[in-house]
Amino acid sequence: MLNKEKLNRIYALFAIYLAAFVLLLGRMAYLQLWRADYYDKQAEGNRLRQSRIMAPRGLILDAKGRELANNLPSYGVSLQKQNDYDEATLQELAAILHMPLTKIKERIKENVNYYQPIRLKSGLNPKDPDDMELITKIEERRRNLSGVLLEVQPIRQYCFKNLAAHTLGYVGEVSEYEIEHGIFENIAPGSIVGKAGLEKSYDEVLRGRDGAFMEEVDASGNVVQHYDSLKPLPGKNIRLTIDLQLQKVLEETIDSHLAYLRSSGLAPRARAASVVVLDPKTGAVKAMVSRPDFDPNWFVDGISSRRWNSINNDPNYPMNNKAISGEYPPGSTFKIVTGSAAFELHKVGLNEPIYDGGFHPDVPTMGNAGGEVLGWLTFIDGLAMSDNVYFYELGKRVGIDNLARYASVYGFGRKTGIDLEGESLGLVASKEVKKKIWNEDWRLGDTFNAAIGQGFNLATPLQLAVMLSSVANGGIRHTPYLVDKIIDSDGRESTPKRPAGEKINVSAQTISYMQEGMAATTREGGTAAYFSSLPKRVAGKTGTAENSMGRDHGIFVAYGPIEDPQLVAVCLVEQGGFGATAAGPIVYQVFEEYFRQQGWQPRYRPVARHSAEENDATSAAKQTEKASDQAKAAAASEKKQPDKAQVQPKGEERGAQAQTAPAPDKKNGATGRRQRKKQ
Amino acid sequence: MDFKRLMRNLDWYLIGAALLLMLGGLALIASATYSYAQTSGGFWHVRRQSIFMLAGIILAAVSLRYDYHQLKHYAKYLYVFNLLLLAAVMLFGHSQLGAQRWLQVGPISFQPSEFSKILLTVCLATFLERRIEWLESFTDYLPVFLYIVVPFVLVMKQPDLGTSLAFIAILTGMIFVSGFRYKWFASLFAAGVALFPAFWLVLQDYQRNRIKVFLNPEMDPFGSGYHVIQAKIAIGSGSLFGKGWLAGSQSQLNFLPENHTDFIFSVLGEEFGFIGTTCIILLYLVIIWRGITIAINADDDFGTLLAVGATSLFMFHIFVNIGMNAGIMPVTGVPLPFFSYGVSSLMTNLGLVAILLNIRLREQRLQF
Repeated sequence: MLNKEKLNRIYALFAIYLAAFVLLLGRMAYLQLWRADYYDKQAEGNRLRQSRIMAPRGLILDAKGRELANNLPSYGVSLQKQNDYDEATLQELAAILHMPLTKIKERIKENVNYYQPIRLKSGLNPKDPDDMELITKIEERRRNLSGVLLEVQPIRQYCFKNLAAHTLGYVGEVSEYEIEHGIFENIAPGSIVGKAGLEKSYDEVLRGRDGAFMEEVDASGNVVQHYDSLKPLPGKNIRLTIDLQLQKVLEETIDSHLAYLRSSGLAPRARAASVVVLDPKTGAVKAMVSRPDFDPNWFVDGISSRRWNSINNDPNYPMNNKAISGEYPPGSTFKIVTGSAAFELHKVGLNEPIYDGGFHPDVPTMGNAGGEVLGWLTFIDGLAMSDNVYFYELGKRVGIDNLARYASVYGFGRKTGIDLEGESLGLVASKEVKKKIWNEDWRLGDTFNAAIGQGFNLATPLQLAVMLSSVANGGIRHTPYLVDKIIDSDGRESTPKRPAGEKINVSAQTISYMQEGMAATTREGGTAAYFSSLPKRVAGKTGTAENSMGRDHGIFVAYGPIEDPQLVAVCLVEQGGFGATAAGPIVYQVFEEYFRQQGWQPRYRPVARHSAEENDATSAAKQTEKASDQAKAAAASEKKQPDKAQVQPKGEERGAQAQTAPAPDKKNGATGRRQRKKQ
Repeated sequence: MDFKRLMRNLDWYLIGAALLLMLGGLALIASATYSYAQTSGGFWHVRRQSIFMLAGIILAAVSLRYDYHQLKHYAKYLYVFNLLLLAAVMLFGHSQLGAQRWLQVGPISFQPSEFSKILLTVCLATFLERRIEWLESFTDYLPVFLYIVVPFVLVMKQPDLGTSLAFIAILTGMIFVSGFRYKWFASLFAAGVALFPAFWLVLQDYQRNRIKVFLNPEMDPFGSGYHVIQAKIAIGSGSLFGKGWLAGSQSQLNFLPENHTDFIFSVLGEEFGFIGTTCIILLYLVIIWRGITIAINADDDFGTLLAVGATSLFMFHIFVNIGMNAGIMPVTGVPLPFFSYGVSSLMTNLGLVAILLNIRLREQRLQF
């Protein structure tokens, strides 16, 4: 039997063993009771994986519901969020994606604070054989590439490529800068957001909300079960005021006309231009073009450096929407402001003649271009023929302060409030502006310059369109807009908030004088008489913006039909020369297309060109006669650019033809020239 | 020994605890191999474990006919047999998971190191019992150390850290009871700490890694630290009541590897919660309690030493296995007695129970 000592030793041993049991039970209590929640979460994290379902971006539709931007199915490669990443997997992934390993690690680092999968590559097009190969490779190696996700991802497609590129804008992956500065709310890296144009200004509407689903996976990453948790909320569609057909015709016209201007030698540097077409009753933008342009599809999954360089090195800034951001002297189109100020302040009577002796007596160095003398003029003729001396006199009577005031009344010097980003303010000439820019005192000559829209005045084509809308609709200022309706996924339509039209502080009487003067511009004897061949009367105004950097910019603004204005069009061709030749024909085509859509036939059918010429022989002869007078004046006015005078006759000949048949050919481009006064 | 007396003298606490643990083990092996069973069509592991369990119980029952005292006479041969067995593993064994531990005999492959635990217990008890009256000074213990050093080295060579540590556990338990001085334990422990760097060099890379990972599992969460982390997650997420049988995500979705063998306790923890782990730990306590009781009441020193050795072996396995599942011990290939899948281990444990029962049966009790 055991002695006492041995017995004690056995008890001691038992005591030690008991202590071991107490330790084990204590440990169990700690793990399973005290820390249970923590480990439960860990187990859930093992078991459940969250994957993203990309919300399809809302469609962009034209006014009639035709798709301008939609989505193509594509694939994106993402990395599941993990605490640690398997080096071998990353290396293999890097090889498949042709992506440096360091880049992948960088992406992982960037995403430290987000729980969504890390997007490594997006926009893999199943139709592209290279992309497809990549997709297949990942699919095949799926078991080895644990944590690598192949996500279906809708990719943006701009259906008509360059069409309305500046208006639509484009999308791209949200940048680090945008995330850091909170430009978009609740955005995770890898998300696609609007970067420019409507895509940017309506990003919140279009983007929708990404969905997510949970997957139960086993230790090898195989999906065991699939749970729906958050359905993606598709972006809402937006229906624009843009009319696809009109926009298309406008884009074609502007390209062919610019090409014509360059090839004919009329304006060899005419590459940049912009057009805005508005509905003067509402402010709805029916078409908007800026040249040069770009294809927004290039940006969708990262632009290639070759394309980016081609855009970046273009001196005409293809990315700028010149219709809203280009600032130009408004030229003679500003005479509407000068005229309105004069009538509103009772500084001139409608039938009060003012003498144009070729220059203004107060500042004899400033006169009509080429010293042309038009004699006694009343307002209507003065505006129709765009006489400078007449408006110098009005400017003098009104004074610069009032000119500036009325410029503001018509909306110059401030943003129009269109639903696009990147609008410029423009500039209204005033004493303060001159003081600020040149630190010089105001002189009468400056007032004269301001009165005819030169000098310090600067306006965007959209501002001109807004001014003209107020003239066309009898004095209402509408905020221009591009998005007519927002349509949610259930088809419910809503109207984006926009300010109501407001009456501008110009009397109906005065407005009607402006209308008359503009109507006269497109009548015989006006600066754009060729518009008289349209099926309905259109009122217009030419303008030439002085450009110290090269040839002048040609401007043309118009609205029509006169009896019931439905369309306002503004065109500006940079370095295009005279408004009537450079910009007028483009505006003419806009109206022709619009009228055709309304079922209004042209007065002179292009098919009956021969007989039309005969019928109009007398008027053509008359025009030619007049034109030769003007030619001299024009030649003299362009001392800066003597080549202009030489091309003049060519324009005349074409003009004679176009007068009778303003078909959509390039030839009528120079039509207005012979009617031109100083602009 | 007539049947009635046998029934009366059997230790039913011990038998009951062992049976409950084995049945619980079968349920958990079924759970741990559930997904495997789904694909391969049949609970192969459960069937194999059950068959060996029944065979083992029968063998144990039969063995009760023979007095354990006879073992003393075979100790010499058993010792040699043990060395031959371990040498055979080195020569003919095949490896699994980086360790050469398996020996194939006909259709059955088994782990001789498991059986060598029981053999060593018997041999050591015999060896100690013979000297127990002369064990006075530290040097008296040197032959004892020498006695186990040969099988110890052979097991280390496999390498099988778990079994070599089990040898030390048996030895420690027995010499503790034999009166090995506390200060000698302290000195040995100090020497062990001092010699640790040398020991470190002897270890295989994967063994070093396991110890490093034990100290810091987050060091390599998808490599060596994976087991440690996933086992803790499984146990912890079981909470009070557990996720239910077959419903543990860690176990069923294979986040927990080796979950039917060394990590079966984590499956228990996940699916049956704190209540489940507590019950099982208490059943192990019953076994240890019975083992100690049997050691105290044994007929002679041999019986006492044998019972202490068997109990220490159980204790070592229970503590090291549950400890590594719970993240308080490094990962060593030590199965959980009666619970883990593994027929060599199961047979060994049944053998140990048979020895304990045998000692119990042959106590010199007053017969009324």
